[in-house]
Amino acid sequence: MKNLKYLISLIIGHLTVFKHIFKKPVTLEYPEKKIELNDKFRGEHAFDVEKCTACGTCQRVCPSFGTIEIEKEKDENGKFYPKNYSIDLNKCIFCGNCVQYCPFGAIKMTQNYELADEKKSTLKLEINTLKRNYFDNIIDK
Amino acid sequence: MDYLYFLYLELLHKWNLPDYIAMVTFPIIPFCFVAAALIVVVIFLVLAERKILAFFTQRKGPNRVGPWGLFQTIADAIKLLCKENITPEGTDKFLFTLAPLLAFIPVLVVWGIIPFCNEFDIISFSINSLLFVVIAAIPILGILLAGYASNNKYSLIGSVRSVAQAISYELPLIFVLLSIVVLASSMNLKQIVLAQSSIYPFCGYFVFPAFLGFVVFFACGIAELNRCPFDLPEAESELVSGYNTEYSGMKFAFFFLAEYAMMFIMCAFIATLFLGGFLSPLGFYVGEKLIPNEFLANLSVYFEQAFWVFVKTFFLIFCMIWVRATLPRLKSHQLTAFAWKVLLPLSLLNLLIVCLIKAVL
Ligand code: SF4
Ligand code: SF4
Repeated sequence: MKNLKYLISLIIGHLTVFKHIFKKPVTLEYPEKKIELNDKFRGEHAFDVEKCTACGTCQRVCPSFGTIEIEKEKDENGKFYPKNYSIDLNKCIFCGNCVQYCPFGAIKMTQNYELADEKKSTLKLEINTLKRNYFDNIIDK
Repeated sequence: MDYLYFLYLELLHKWNLPDYIAMVTFPIIPFCFVAAALIVVVIFLVLAERKILAFFTQRKGPNRVGPWGLFQTIADAIKLLCKENITPEGTDKFLFTLAPLLAFIPVLVVWGIIPFCNEFDIISFSINSLLFVVIAAIPILGILLAGYASNNKYSLIGSVRSVAQAISYELPLIFVLLSIVVLASSMNLKQIVLAQSSIYPFCGYFVFPAFLGFVVFFACGIAELNRCPFDLPEAESELVSGYNTEYSGMKFAFFFLAEYAMMFIMCAFIATLFLGGFLSPLGFYVGEKLIPNEFLANLSVYFEQAFWVFVKTFFLIFCMIWVRATLPRLKSHQLTAFAWKVLLPLSLLNLLIVCLIKAVL
């Protein structure tokens, strides 16, 4: 009786596998075709300098210590602004905390995930790169 | 064959060569054809296996080299040929080199046994089906030597498993072959094929009386080929890659070639025994009906017969890949238990059924 059960499940298993032939393959030919991303995908950061007040919240909520570096300064009106701001993608875990906790919505995340590079130093996003990301990806959309 | 031999003699006479050269070299010519066919079939087979396996698992398979990845295997072969031949330290150099040859050459020989059409069975004598089983077992020796000479524990375990497997699975295989011999009253493969012809298309095939035997033979064939689910000798997750772990370059290519060529031949053998070999399942030959010229019609029949052998063989290969895509690997003790407790009794039962059928009819 037990053996008969095995035999039946053997046949069912083979038929199940056979059905896969007629299904659409899940393979994606990556560099030519790209996967469709969700709107909430967390990729490379973008940064709007105008909005940032250099409050340092993002630095504090970042779970990966030392990822965000802010150098703050006062302008002529007595307001703080970030003179230098950098996000080190070598350390970042793309959790999105910085985006969520920024009180002024200065940080956004883009859909760019192709971040492989030859040098580690290029993965440290300086303020200019972040600004450019903002104009290229957030405002354009 | 005689006519071709005569033509060949004439050709050699033109070059003033003695007769005995023709006698020695003539049998080599079909062998060259077979060897060339073998390479082509293996190249196609490796690609087919990867593609079909991909379809079964909802992937696309190789698709980079050439259109639809058709040249993938050729690229792989070139890569293998360019690789360095490494002989690790502490190996038995002579046996290490001998093993791949021992695995490969018997495969070439058994190719000649399969009747691809009415006239083209090169090694043809009264008990050549027995010869097939005997020679098809020799590669196991090559595998054992490879494991023994490699000076590597994984290789040794892999090869020992392979031998244990071969011993358990050879027995039911022979019993099923015996049942076919009972049905056909002959041990010559061509006679076995001709015994399957009947007035109705494909009704005389031996799968019907010996269906049980067909299933047992198929399972044993898979085990002989060391394929999933009986691929214990090459179990990647436990033994790196089994008996050929230490091999590289050309020697590895020999093992690879032997494995896939053997897969094709085993399927051709099953097709010959059970699925009517070169007989057309339509009951007639298309060329015979369509081509008015008698000589050309006869010639086209040969090609059609070869075509049917290939169709049946590839159907069986498809089934083997299907099994591979479905079933997980067995455990070591399950493997032997399956052979001795399930397949052997089934093959004996099959023999009994076949004998009864033969006695009644
Ligand atoms: S995404 Fe997370 S880890 Fe990366 S900088 Fe923002 S808070 Fe830090
Ligand atoms: S990006 Fe937002 S959270 Fe970070 S320092 Fe600027 S304002 Fe504060």
